[in-house]
Amino acid sequence: MIHISNILLALILLSVLLSLRSNRLMALVKLMAFQGIVVSAVPLFLETEHGLTFNLFMFFLLLILVKGLVIPGLMYIAVKRVVASREIEPIIGYHASLFAGLIMIVFSVYVTNHLHLAMLPVGHKLLLVTAITTMGAGFVLLMARRKAITQVIGYLMMENGIYLIGTALAKQVHTQYVVEFAVLLDLLVGVLVMGIVLNDINHTFDDVDTALLGQLKD
Amino acid sequence: MLQLVFLIPLIAGGVVYFLPAKKGRLILLGTAAIHVMITALEWFKVIGPLQTKYFSATPEGMLVLAIMSFLFLFISIYTIFYMGEVEMEKEPVFNSSMLLFLSAMSMVAIADHIIMLWVAVEATTLMSAPLIFVHRSKESLEATWKYVLICSVGIALALLGCFFVIFSMEMSDIHVPISFSALTTVAAELNPVWLKAGFIFIVIGYGTKMGLAPMHTWLPDAHSEAPSPASALLSGALLNCAFLGVYRCHQLMYAAGLGDYSSNVLIAFGLASMLVSAVFILNQTDYKRMLAYSSVENMGIIAFGTGIGGIAVFGAMLHMIHHSLVKSSLFLSAGNILLGYGTKIIDKTGGMLRLLPKTGITFFAGFAGISGFPPFGLFISELLIILGAIKAGRYVAISIFIFCLILIFAGAARLVMQMVLKDRDDVEIQVPEKWMRALPPLILLLTSLALVIWLPDSLYQTIQNAISSVGGTVNG
Repeated sequence: MIHISNILLALILLSVLLSLRSNRLMALVKLMAFQGIVVSAVPLFLETEHGLTFNLFMFFLLLILVKGLVIPGLMYIAVKRVVASREIEPIIGYHASLFAGLIMIVFSVYVTNHLHLAMLPVGHKLLLVTAITTMGAGFVLLMARRKAITQVIGYLMMENGIYLIGTALAKQVHTQYVVEFAVLLDLLVGVLVMGIVLNDINHTFDDVDTALLGQLKD
Repeated sequence: MLQLVFLIPLIAGGVVYFLPAKKGRLILLGTAAIHVMITALEWFKVIGPLQTKYFSATPEGMLVLAIMSFLFLFISIYTIFYMGEVEMEKEPVFNSSMLLFLSAMSMVAIADHIIMLWVAVEATTLMSAPLIFVHRSKESLEATWKYVLICSVGIALALLGCFFVIFSMEMSDIHVPISFSALTTVAAELNPVWLKAGFIFIVIGYGTKMGLAPMHTWLPDAHSEAPSPASALLSGALLNCAFLGVYRCHQLMYAAGLGDYSSNVLIAFGLASMLVSAVFILNQTDYKRMLAYSSVENMGIIAFGTGIGGIAVFGAMLHMIHHSLVKSSLFLSAGNILLGYGTKIIDKTGGMLRLLPKTGITFFAGFAGISGFPPFGLFISELLIILGAIKAGRYVAISIFIFCLILIFAGAARLVMQMVLKDRDDVEIQVPEKWMRALPPLILLLTSLALVIWLPDSLYQTIQNAISSVGGTVNG
């Protein structure tokens, strides 16, 4: 029997691989919106012990709104404003990044199998694999790309991965809306601040290439 | 009501954003005074927390809060007169961010819920980012970008660590609120493997914020590019807040019987930080960067002392207090130097005793303090840490520790001597020094001095309560 959650997880993995291959900033933003929505929807389709309460449902709606609409919207505006729309000369090439992504999947399966998490519910193993891969791929984007926007997207992807790990491991967090809401707010303000700095970088340097940010060193 | 310590600055910060700069300065000062008052009421337990689910007043938290509150008062006095001298286009943004930053830091100091602590630490990054790039120069943009990105990624790893800690609880099928106070009571039953993994991630995450090597790379840039009042606040208050996050987890580890493991991790990071700053301080050309590397060193000392245990933890806590006072004072003096000479390059300064006598004296005295000379407090704290390490039999570690201290002193002394003593007649002072800008750094130094001569009983008690949970003692 195929669960909906498994399909969602496959979609997340697909979006991760696509984002490692993509060199257009706009395509990356759209992928992020898609990934944000799917990631926020995953907990809804996992078999939850407490069932779906109204509060929980409203919270996930808010999550989808912020991760799938507001944050990608901010990124969309940022991409529209910047001069460059493509990633040129990444530090690690696209094929190499894609390959790294595939290796990461194998690695996550290996790690998950060796953690001896017998107590986890059945669906959560695949969730953990996806989560670790997403986090790792976010890290690759962060390190291997030079445009500041791609780095922000890498950060968001990493955050998505960590959120999924939290979903897989720490059940208690997701019943405390105040805390989860605060985390979400932090993420939102974080992207907002990064967006403002990004805009200023673009304004000052006429580009968002972080290779230009190399004045301060010892 | 404990929560007022972050609610009032939060509201004030929001208001100041929309007010003209002159009124904003007054509100800044007023809020600082109110913050000190609430902290004092809380310190002497006149008022208690409203609800204990997310926040609580712990001794170590109160210590950090008290230092922060005290510093902020004098830094805000300095800010008002500093702002009178510099043309800042977006001063309301600066003042507002100062207050919001204070709010976020106060929240760190009183947070008890694991994730709430994380939220507050991340908030400090976001609220202080505008402080760094307020000048909008190329360098400050670079510094801000590195700061926001490196710290956000680091702190994201800390969130992962928090999840691991929570999972270690669910693994053993325990259900308590995920706050440090509740977890400590059941610490012995937590799954040790996941707890260790969680601790590593949390140390890496909050350690990034604290400036522990090798995650410190943002710190010299941010501290040197931020306006001096903001640098003083970053170095004196923010780093302590990040340390508090690490310390809370160390307490949890200690309660779980994994104290040896976490101690060794802290010692390793501490020594790494000291070594890195010793290497980089030697050939500094920028005096604010020099001070920033000194902060990396001192955070390393604090982590080291905490890791050693016993009387060294007492030393580490004293070190935290005195480092905050002295380093903030140094950054404020550095602001006066920057105003006077108009440059951050050490070679272009000189003859401070003749040209800027008041600042020259505070800067030089501050340097003596930060290098661990008596009569300043860092002498005592470093001595306690060294004694503790010898008592614990960590001879290799303490040799490296002392070697780094000597190296850093030698490196920094050459630079400071050149700035203060080497006279030159080819420089002109752009902004003459004023008493109101020289007083706050002086008062901070004198406070450090006073605390050496007389450590108030309640402070002594608080430190004792704070360190007893990690096996620290005050008398060997």
